[in-house]
Amino acid sequence: MRSKSSAERRRGIALHAALFPLALIWLFPLWMMFVFSTLPENGIFSRDIILTPSDQFVENFNLLESDTGFIRATTISILVAAAYTVLSVALTSMAGWSLACYRFAGKGVVLATILGTLTLPYFVVVIPQFIMVARDFGLHNTLFALIVPPLFNSLGVLFMRQTFSMMPHELFDAARVEGVKEWRIFLFIGLPLARPAVAALSIILFLHSWNNYLWPLLINSKPAMMTAPVALGSLIGLTKVSWGGIMTGAVMLTAPMLVLFVALQRHFVAGISAGAVK
Amino acid sequence: MAAVSLNNVVKKFGSLPVVHGASLEIADGEFVVFVGPSGCGKSTLLRMIAGLEDITDGEIVIGGKVVNDVEPAERGIAMVFQSYALYPHMTVEQNLSFGLRMTGNDKADTQRRVSRAADILRISELMQRRPRQLSGGQRQRVAIGRAIVRNPQVFLFDEPLSNLDAELRVQMRVEIARLHKELGVTMIYVTHDQTEAMTLADKIVVLRAGNIEQIGRPLDLYYDPDNQFVAGFVGSPKMNFIRGHVVERNDKGVILELAGEDGTRLAQPLTGPAPELGSHVTVGVRPEHFGDAGKGDADLTVSVDVVEHLGGTSFVYAATAAGEELVIQRDAATAADAAEITVSIRKSYLFDEKGLRLR
Amino acid sequence: MRLRTRTAYAFLTPYLLVFLTFWIWPIANSFWLSFLNTRSANWTFNPRMTWGRLLVDPAFANALWNTLLILVIQVPVMIALATVLAVLLNSPILKARGLFRFAFFAPVVVGEVAYAAMFRLLFNEFGIINKMLVAAGLTSIPWLSDPNAAMAVIIIALTWRWAGYNAIIILAGLQSIPEDVYEAATLDGVSKVRQFFYITLPLLKPVIILCVVISVIGTMQLFSEPFLITNRGGPGQATETLGLFLYRQGFGAFNFGYASAVAYTITALAIAISLLNLWLGKERE
Repeated sequence: MRSKSSAERRRGIALHAALFPLALIWLFPLWMMFVFSTLPENGIFSRDIILTPSDQFVENFNLLESDTGFIRATTISILVAAAYTVLSVALTSMAGWSLACYRFAGKGVVLATILGTLTLPYFVVVIPQFIMVARDFGLHNTLFALIVPPLFNSLGVLFMRQTFSMMPHELFDAARVEGVKEWRIFLFIGLPLARPAVAALSIILFLHSWNNYLWPLLINSKPAMMTAPVALGSLIGLTKVSWGGIMTGAVMLTAPMLVLFVALQRHFVAGISAGAVK
Repeated sequence: MAAVSLNNVVKKFGSLPVVHGASLEIADGEFVVFVGPSGCGKSTLLRMIAGLEDITDGEIVIGGKVVNDVEPAERGIAMVFQSYALYPHMTVEQNLSFGLRMTGNDKADTQRRVSRAADILRISELMQRRPRQLSGGQRQRVAIGRAIVRNPQVFLFDEPLSNLDAELRVQMRVEIARLHKELGVTMIYVTHDQTEAMTLADKIVVLRAGNIEQIGRPLDLYYDPDNQFVAGFVGSPKMNFIRGHVVERNDKGVILELAGEDGTRLAQPLTGPAPELGSHVTVGVRPEHFGDAGKGDADLTVSVDVVEHLGGTSFVYAATAAGEELVIQRDAATAADAAEITVSIRKSYLFDEKGLRLR
Repeated sequence: MRLRTRTAYAFLTPYLLVFLTFWIWPIANSFWLSFLNTRSANWTFNPRMTWGRLLVDPAFANALWNTLLILVIQVPVMIALATVLAVLLNSPILKARGLFRFAFFAPVVVGEVAYAAMFRLLFNEFGIINKMLVAAGLTSIPWLSDPNAAMAVIIIALTWRWAGYNAIIILAGLQSIPEDVYEAATLDGVSKVRQFFYITLPLLKPVIILCVVISVIGTMQLFSEPFLITNRGGPGQATETLGLFLYRQGFGAFNFGYASAVAYTITALAIAISLLNLWLGKERE
């Protein structure tokens, strides 16, 4: 066996000495979020530095639930994120398939429009969207308003287009020669082969919808129709509100995503790097 | 069973023409090979016959029916792809039956056809495997099996052997020839490998840059090429080309002087029109058409670079005085490693400045 | 490929409908709105009330200044940090890789509201950060009531939230650099540090520029952090950003015309700064 050179060992020590404290700093806010969610109110603002959790999570959550209907809001959030993810994956993978696999009139225009407007800030559409959905359609404070308008997101289209273009098209030609209908080729060959991409895309879209704040804040302002982030955000800045309760809400919004992240890190990373590399 | 004919078929990608007007008759049951260097349009032509590419102009007829606007599945064809195009997420059995299942074919009939194809190709014991568990040769068999299942009138092969190693390639080549004999259907086969073309074809179509250069039986192309391209493309090692010019014309033909060989005259009898006096021509000589000095039409003294001894025969890599590189095939016994040898041209082909054969 | 217009649109239409209704049409509509006086009952064409006002509104100038300030400080610091993180996390001799990746990448999945609430609490005047400062013998800082300190909190929060995100992208770029380039350099006796500056950085440049562009666009529409952490851009309007200003004009005062003009300004700036970055990236090649 080759023994490590002392230079290499020194580099290793320096590397860990630099990263370890930085990692602690990065983990600190998440850890404190958890700690705060378990502390009584006088614990959060006590004179002592408290770095370990206590046992008041349930009590704090009850305070949150009485400040705002958090369970109902979370139910809405889950519904919306699930529906949004399924619909968006369906729409964008069909569109991506179309752009990857067919030559058709107007393809250049469609592609150029999607690419050309991809990086425009969301703020440029938020006002007309609001006017349209709230005033023209009268659909504010509905599930429709939360789920459908954000479906415009074109990242999935480009991601799925790239996924399908990288597949060997002879596979689809082989099925075509055999007389298989196009939608069946998409459903039984294209999509099954795109499973890893669909998984990555689903995760990113779910996360996106779960954490979405500005649009739900604007369009669903009625407390009964708020999503969880909006309900939680509505408490921040109020004076007579339980901070321990807010922290339980933050933990409940964050913890499931962290678990998902640990379990599916590969897909998260794939989704993020693919989303960025257009 | 069907004949195929192409009538002045043109293909353009945008404004870029890739096939310039190909006309071709393929008889029922014939084995036709499209051969040419990459980018010559042979695969595009095949995909147009399959219906995977639009036809810009002209028409394609299969079994007496113009199929320009017919969907691939209704053309009575089956295709074997270069990459095999096996569905990676399905078993061999599912791969073979996929098309039939998706088009609502009777279950029992599907089953029957699949097992027949499996028998023909001897892949029955592989039915439950997935493509990634198969060797290259086995994948190739499954891909062919998927074509057989369709009972096609015409088989299309798009460079089916190019992903195999040399030994397997020879084996599968024999297999495909056997299949053609067994099924007796029309087969159209695309390759860039002239050896495959020579060994498999009833008829070879040589393509270059979107044009059909020559159509003919393998040995006709070899012994009677229409132009310098076909002459150079068919045969291995390649035909040698030596530059020269016309020094004399008479009613029997021309007399040439070869580049760098002052005083060496080569008489070429011609029945057709002869080139101008002084015009540049190219003389083509196959490696085996050199002989010992004094026994042919003209003698050349060449300097030898390398000699490859293959046992029964030897290849001498040499250069003429004008620096033109030649490959000369000689008997093992007569091949010398000497720096200079004298050879004689026993048989040659003459091409004009544009590369057209002068006969 | 055959021309298959009908099939193609059969697959494309469902998405196109949503895309045109909720993206393309609003983009155009927003432009038209930015010329309308929306304060009267009937919306009338009056760019002086929107674009004209933009030029002289000190509140807008303040929001623009704050946004650019955050941009100029936060983006370079974060990208530099993300690059270093990516290189360190990519090191083959790193132990406990999963733990480190979790530490830096986890913020990517944390929602804006959750992390804003947390940072607001951490940097509370009586919060844990100040308690730790005092315990370390320093004085406590009025984080959220001092204009500069509040700005610092926003920048710290943004960096915590997004450094890992950018590191993921840069890491993907790093992993696409072939190993043999480094092996060749090592054989040539080039030190690790020099390899970083002369091989890694130049090859990473396109990815880093991409990160900068993404960050610039994100920063231009900064909203949740000043809205939630510094209590709607406080103290006073010290941390009011363009995004927050647009929100106040559009959905506080319901002055849609003026807010649309702000929206188009944000867009134009985001595009201009991104193009500048791309151009600078090309220039040195």
